[in-house]
Formats: sequence, C-alpha cells, structure tokens
Amino acid sequence: MSSPERKLRLTDIINVNIWDVDSKPHIIVNYEKCKNCPTKACVRLCPTGCYTETENGILFSYEGCVECGTCRVVCPMEAITWTYPKSGKGIFYRFS
Amino acid sequence: MEEMNILDQKFDVAVVGAGPAGLAAAYYLAKKGFKTVVLERGREIGSKSIYGGRIYAAPLKEIYPNFNSMPVHRWVKKERISIMPDYESMISIDYQGKDAISFTAYLTEVVKWMGIQAETAGATIITDVPVTNFYRENNKVAGVVSGEDVLRSDVVVDAEGVNRLVLEASGIVKPLKPELVALGVKEVLKGDSKQIEDAFGLSQDEGLAWVFLGAATANVPGGAFLYTNRDSVSLGVVVLLDKAIVNLKDHISQLVESLRTAPALKNYLKNLRISEYSAHLIPEDVWSLRPERLVYDGLLITGDAAGLLLNAGYTYRGVDFAAYSGYLAGKAIESAHAQGDYGAGALSSYEKMLKDSIVIKELNRFRKVHEIMKNNLLFEKYPKIMSGVMKRMFENSDGPSKAWDAINESCKENQYSMLKLLINGYKIVRAL
Amino acid sequence: MGLDIILLFKYVPNTTTVNVDPNTGTLIREGVPSVVNPHDLVAAEFALKLKEKYGGKIMAMIMAPPSATKGIEYLVGMGIDEGILLTDRVYGGADTLATSYVLSQAIKKVVSHYDLIVAGQETLDSSTAHIGAQVSSWLGIPYVYYVTEAEIQDGHMIVTRQLETYIEKYKVKLPALISVLMHSLQPRDVTLKNKIKAVKEKPIKVYTNNELQLNPLCTGLKGSPTIVAKTEFIGKIPRKMQIMQGKPPEEMVSWLISKLKEEKVI
Ligand SMILES: Cc1cc2nc3c(=O)[nH]c(=O)nc-3n(C[C@H](O)[C@H](O)[C@H](O)COP(=O)(O)OP(=O)(O)OC[C@H]3O[C@@H](n4cnc5c(N)ncnc54)[C@H](O)[C@@H]3O)c2cc1C
Ligand code: SF4
Ligand code: SF4
Repeated sequence: MSSPERKLRLTDIINVNIWDVDSKPHIIVNYEKCKNCPTKACVRLCPTGCYTETENGILFSYEGCVECGTCRVVCPMEAITWTYPKSGKGIFYRFS
Repeated sequence: MEEMNILDQKFDVAVVGAGPAGLAAAYYLAKKGFKTVVLERGREIGSKSIYGGRIYAAPLKEIYPNFNSMPVHRWVKKERISIMPDYESMISIDYQGKDAISFTAYLTEVVKWMGIQAETAGATIITDVPVTNFYRENNKVAGVVSGEDVLRSDVVVDAEGVNRLVLEASGIVKPLKPELVALGVKEVLKGDSKQIEDAFGLSQDEGLAWVFLGAATANVPGGAFLYTNRDSVSLGVVVLLDKAIVNLKDHISQLVESLRTAPALKNYLKNLRISEYSAHLIPEDVWSLRPERLVYDGLLITGDAAGLLLNAGYTYRGVDFAAYSGYLAGKAIESAHAQGDYGAGALSSYEKMLKDSIVIKELNRFRKVHEIMKNNLLFEKYPKIMSGVMKRMFENSDGPSKAWDAINESCKENQYSMLKLLINGYKIVRAL
Repeated sequence: MGLDIILLFKYVPNTTTVNVDPNTGTLIREGVPSVVNPHDLVAAEFALKLKEKYGGKIMAMIMAPPSATKGIEYLVGMGIDEGILLTDRVYGGADTLATSYVLSQAIKKVVSHYDLIVAGQETLDSSTAHIGAQVSSWLGIPYVYYVTEAEIQDGHMIVTRQLETYIEKYKVKLPALISVLMHSLQPRDVTLKNKIKAVKEKPIKVYTNNELQLNPLCTGLKGSPTIVAKTEFIGKIPRKMQIMQGKPPEEMVSWLISKLKEEKVI
C-alpha cells in the first residue's frame, strides 16, 4: 500500500524525542488484571508502544511514555495506576 | 493527606497548568495587579505542550495588545480537504483565501511566549511541580496541594488540560471514558523553509492547512492533518478513541507511518527528517465531557479541562478558545474581587461571558458535526463512493462519463442508495 | 554543630536519551535542553541527607553561562539552600583544569567557611571525573571518591567508599572533598515549597571576573591545556530484545549466560 523504503520502526522514530527519564515509574500496571482483559487496547493504542504483548502476558515499560493518558482511558480493567512524572521529568517537547 | 504543610506564602490567584488557558488567565490577572502564581508540571513552559498546528488569531489579538511578537510560523492562506479512498489517490478541494485569519506555529513556542507575557505582567511561574489536588477551607476551594505542600490562594483557575487528574481527585469530574475523547498522534518533519515553500507551492510566510479523511485513519472515524510550519511540516492523525478500540487493527503509530510514506504524499515530504513524535488526547464529545458547572466556590474551570474546544470536522479550535476562556476567567475574578466575594455566585459571570462569547456561540453552531463524525459512513462508504465517481469520470478508457451516471454507478457498486447519499450529503453541508 | 557544604555541579545537555535521526543515523543536537548532571543529583541527595542529620547549609556552585541559573533553581527546588554562579566570557571554553581553577579560587575568595565539598562521580557529557581531584588539590584538602556514606566523629569524617570488590573506610580531616558514587542514592523530588523559594527568593549569587579578579590566562580557553582532537560518533548499536519469563530461576540464569556468551559479552 505505501512506499516501503522509508518504513521505520517505532523504536527508531521515538528516539528523536527528548526525555528526562525518572528513576521511578509514574505508571504502574497490575498485570494480574491484564490476564482477563478482553481488548488489550493499550497494546495497539499506546502511541509510543510502551505496552507489548508477550507469550507470558503484557509487558509495560514507562521510559518512552509521552504522558498522553490514552492507556488510562482505554483500559477496561482499571489495571493502570496513572500519574504524571514528578520534578518536570518525562517527555520534553521542543517542536510540537 | 494528614501531614499537610501549609506554606506561609499566599497568592490572590493560583492557576493550575501553564497551557494557553492558564497563561492567558495569569497574564490578564497579573496585569490587573492580582498576585498570581501558575503551577506547571513540566520542566519548562511548553515542554509538555502539543497540538495539531494552526491557531485562529482573533481571540489572541483581543487578549494581547502586543500580538505582533507572537512566534507565528506562517499565515494560513491555503486550505485543502482531501478524501483518500486509499493511500495512492485522493480527491481534494482547495481554497485559497486572501486574508489569513489563522497561522501555523509550534504550541511549545506559543506558550513560551505567553509565559513571558504573563511573567512580564508580574505573574510568578513555578515549573517542575504537579498539582495533586485542591485545598479546601470550609468547603471552598482555597488553594492547591502538591504532595505534602499546600499553597493557599483566594481563588483557583483550573487549566490542567484534558487529563483532569486534579478535577478527578477533587471529585468534580469522573475519569474520562473512551467515547469522550480522541487520540492525536503527530510527527514533525523538518527541512528548510525553501524546501517547504517549493514542495507545497507557497510563497514566503504563506501556509497550508490540509485535512485528510478516509484511508488516512484506516476508516476509523477521525481525520488526519498536515500543516506547514516555517521549516517543517506537522503531520498527524486523530482517531475517536472508542471507535479505535474496536476498529483499529494495526498499531496506532502505523497510521502516521502509512500517511508519511503514502504515495499520494511522496512528493511533498521528500528529504524531510523526523524531529519529534508526539501524542495527546483531545476533547471530542465536548458536551458530555464538560463538568456540571464551570464555577464552584473559589474555582473556575477553563480550556480543555472545561471541554471548551471546537471540533469543526475539518479543523480544531482549542488553543484560541482555551486562551479566551482563561481571559474571561480572569475578568470574572476581577469583577468578583470588586464584590469582595469569590463564591460561585460572584464568579458566575464567567459562565455568562462565555455564553455570549465566540467560544460557546461557535460550539453551538458546530454541535451537529460531532454527530456526523460519529457516523462511520463518512469515513468508510463515502470515500469509496467518491473515488468510484472520480475513477469513472477521469479514468474511463471510453472517455469521461457524465457526473450523474458516475455517481449512480458508484453508488450501486457500493450498495448504497443515491437518495440516502444526497440526504446525508445535505446534512453534512448544513452542519458545517 | 552544623555542616557547611558546597555542592559542585554541572548543567549539561540532556544526553541520557541519545537522539539519532532514524533516516540518516546522525546525531540530533537541535534544541536539546540542559539538565543538572544526573550524577550531581545523587551528590545533592547525599548532601541533603547529611544536612538532615547534622544541620547546616548547602550551597550549590557552578561555573557556567547564565542559563545555568535554571539548574540552581532545580537544586533549590530539591532543598539546597542557595547557589553561586560563576560566569564570565573569559571562563568560556574551559577544560577541567581551568574549570577547577576558577571553582577553587572562587571558593577561596567568596565562601567564608565550609566543612565539606561534595561532587558527583562524573558528568554525563564528558565523563572525565577530573573536577573533584583537581579542586581538592588546588585547595590542598583531602579527597575521597566513590563515596557511599559519611559520618561525623569527633571533628573528623568517617567516609565509606565502595570499590568493585571491597569497601574502604577512611577517617579524614575536614574540610574535605568527596565525590559520591553514582546511582548510590535516589535523588528526591522537587517540592512546591522549595521551588517557590527558588523562584521568589532567588537565593542565587552571581560572580563575574570583575569580582573574582582571576588571571584570564589561567581561565577559559587560554587556561586549558587539553585539546579535544576529535570526537567520533560510534554509531548506534541496534538493540536486541529477547524475553525469558516464567521458568525456574536456574533455567533462566543459564539461558541468560548462554545468550551473553553467544553475544560475546562474557
Ligand atoms: C493532536 C491535536 C491536534 C490539535 N490541533 C489543534 C489545532 O490545530 N488548533 C487548535 O487551536 N487546537 C488544536 N488542538 C487543541 C489544543 O491543543 C487544546 O485545545 C489546547 O492546548 C488546550 O489548552 P489548555 O490550556 O486548556 O490545556 P493544555 O494545552 O493541555 O495545557 C495544560 C497544561 O497544564 C499542565 N498540567 C496538567 N496537569 C497539571 C497538574 N496536575 N499540575 C500542574 N500542571 C499541570 C500541562 O503540563 C500543560 O502544560 C489540538 C489538540 C491535539 C491533541
Ligand atoms: S488494557 Fe488494561 S487490562 Fe487490558 S492489557 Fe492493557 S493494561 Fe492490561
Ligand atoms: S500515557 Fe500514553 S504514552 Fe504513556 S503509556 Fe499510556 S498510552 Fe502510552
């Protein structure tokens, strides 16, 4: 469908962003609840791909989070404890 | 919550969030001599700001006498709406205006500018600090809480944006639901200004606002956009979240990826490099999202947090509306101060002024659009019908067919009644 | 008794995330904001813990362009009491020698009393780890690095330093300079209370060479014998990710070891 030559991996794209990554996570996922999740919507809808589905269930990493709040809204299981990073940490936009 | 540490310092007004809404409120209030503090969770003003790319100027000109120093990139003189049946082709409507009423810019830069205006007017801006709740005295909002620290103020302006953690914590609104919001994902692609002007046929300072419907969102209700900045392009996709949960098969980032690499856009985006990837929620069903009231004792709610954003189907007006609501909140506080009372009654002039302002007037005018945006047909069926029409008209080897025949045949092919098409088409035009 | 502590820090471009253009593979430097060097935040936390225990005052000191004021504000936001910014055109382009010279001379000239100087292990942007050693020798005071703990005992400081395979304890005379082992502590967050103080009271003093009167031949580019001949970007090493989960620990460990051997890491 689309020209393949410039298809890039999401991990490479988000590499252009700047983060001041906090040493503690601002989002906590209760993986137990994920086991019964009917949609796993976070996996497709987290824009930076922080949620991955593995053989052994959902895996979440907060480092690439852009604090959009999508996962919090789409999660049907209330599995996510969501706050903002403290001390101005997290994403630092420059050209948006 | 037990070990609260009430700070000695007290302000007249505390503003939660240094976005367009909060900074416009702070600017107005500081200028009028109110001791004003803005609390922002980001490292710097603008470091958490992201939007589509175009701002309507009039409300900002009214708020800021020195609007001419605004970091404008380009004035939008060209508008284009394209329907993409697939990534290879599109049907476009172009509009070239004479007088530009909107401009492209980075929101990161615009709010930084607004921050300087507020600070110059005398407001204090505190970054790095997320507000976690309101502080209450005798059931009135009387300041803000961050961690264990309490900062008191006579009145609070909530301008925290669409993710309303503070309003939620204080019990004023419920957590967001997917049907209330849309998700926007965007890339900024950089080159130099000459490159942008050549690729899009623009003259210096002239900008293009371009909207895509159809394949650009994998037929999930929503849209895609392209704005030309000084030396870059903002390219992004917006999808309604409840629809995306059900209908989006791929990862959301694939939508932007497919748009950037679409053959139909290839010639425009040559040799640009990605310089930022961002995402944010947008109020979608603004009527259901709006808190029950916009004023409470000691509290006013502005901007996205109040659902004061216009989704006109082809364009968003959030930045100027947010700023204008902040400005009106400032005026309401000024008049409440004159009455010596910050109760909900005294502050309610905010809601009245909003009602009479461009913000609510336009929101009412566009109320219908939301209904249509929810209509899958617009995003799935219509693009296909239209592309069928175009193909018949322009790619028919027997020579072009008559428009009417083409529409008729294309409707049949897509199993859709022409009467329905006409009725719905009329509805859309009316709503817009 | 109360300890007067000087915290040396650097304000550096945030390169914790290396920004590489996905199309061309080149480094992107445009608009990269600066942060307080993360290892210096650990040193700040170390100093704050000492202050909590013994009382006293912490002053953050930096030689840098005026934009570093933001870094001082961040540290005051964490609870540091005040800051000194040493800034002058003639200090620009300094290597570690010229930098340590200015810092130590400023300490001599404008700081009336101090018991302890605390620094981070190294900086994000150059990783030389010279500053601590050089400042202490300019000042002629003891220097201990890789420090994880410090305690006051009868006018001396008992300092614990952690090396790869063993722990050492030193008894040093004060004043002394210590550099804190990186990652050994979790820096605390900025609080509303402290950040308001930083912005409203601005407890920041600025000194230029007008006040310090240092010989310009010993500062900045002129005072810097080090020449960076060339820096080379080694390119991005593609990350490989494999996940092993839910097996008995023994099995997972031997799997990991075999993978690391495969990759010639061990
Ligand atoms: C993809 C997309 C495209 C858009 N396109 C356009 C467009 O082209 N034109 C247009 O006019 N509008 C557009 N909008 C809408 C526009 O961005 C918003 O309407 C506008 O930014 C709202 O301003 P605000 O001040 O209410 O909130 P925001 O801009 O969201 O600002 C809120 C601020 O508060 C801070 N904050 C939040 N919570 C806290 C807390 N607890 N403590 C301290 N600080 C906090 C945030 O960091 C942020 O700085 C778009 C939005 C999106 C997402
Ligand atoms: S949507 Fe929620 S419950 Fe489902 S997988 Fe994601 S985090 Fe888990
Ligand atoms: S907040 Fe947004 S970016 Fe962060 S993990 Fe959730 S969906 Fe992903």
